[in-house]
Amino acid sequence: MPDSITTQPVGQDARFQEYVVPEIDVMYRVAYSITRNKADAEDLVQDTMMRAYRAIERFDGKYPRAWLLTIMRNAQVNRVRRKRPELMHDPDETMGRVADESAEGADAESQLMDKEFEAPIESALAALPEKFLSVVELVDLNQLSYQEAADALGIPVGTVMSRLHRARRNIRTHLEAFEDEV
Amino acid sequence: MVKKLNCREVGLRLQSYLDGELDDARIEQIRAHLDDCVACGLEADAFVKIKKDLTAQAVPSDSQALARLRQFSSQIAANAATE
Repeated sequence: MPDSITTQPVGQDARFQEYVVPEIDVMYRVAYSITRNKADAEDLVQDTMMRAYRAIERFDGKYPRAWLLTIMRNAQVNRVRRKRPELMHDPDETMGRVADESAEGADAESQLMDKEFEAPIESALAALPEKFLSVVELVDLNQLSYQEAADALGIPVGTVMSRLHRARRNIRTHLEAFEDEV
Repeated sequence: MVKKLNCREVGLRLQSYLDGELDDARIEQIRAHLDDCVACGLEADAFVKIKKDLTAQAVPSDSQALARLRQFSSQIAANAATE
């Protein structure tokens, strides 16, 4: 559970309404990309909003989405640290491992059935390594800018670009191989 | 007069161009090259299609979860006021 809130100055609510509430949809989609679990995503957004409320007096009003995504990443790092302290050497790797572990619960037979019926683009996405998939989800599916994706994942913009470009090349190769089979 | 880019220079910036991450001057340079160069034009078309297909994979947000989160956001202020 998030920490309790201390008393906030007047104006706090208006700033929260202006900067945070309009971003709830984006925060939820990004949280889902990071956690790969609906309940965890909802919990992470709640945690992010609590932290944002406490910090909003110090926020300069510029780039609220980038600010919120940075808060979300820090919140997620802390959540993972509480659950698995031994994994915290590389937060980026940790997020990938946590996501991989969430996916491990899926039944093998249903995975096989899904693969039979999924569109080529879906199978191309499923074949991507986790760290490439996260960037594609944030930029292509959720329409974040490179900077916003970098803030959400805690990696440099250049890394977002290189992962995105490699991911798209992989997808292209996958789709071309599929067309050759047909 | 816009400085012309070669195929390699366009290739390096193509993904950023497709993602709307370049400034107007760069966009103009790349558009000019893609209009003239068949190979780069085809390359751009291939990635435009991939990006379009990927965008179509976006899953709509869970409306119930969003409703709960909006409710939570209004409770934050209410809780703070009572503490």
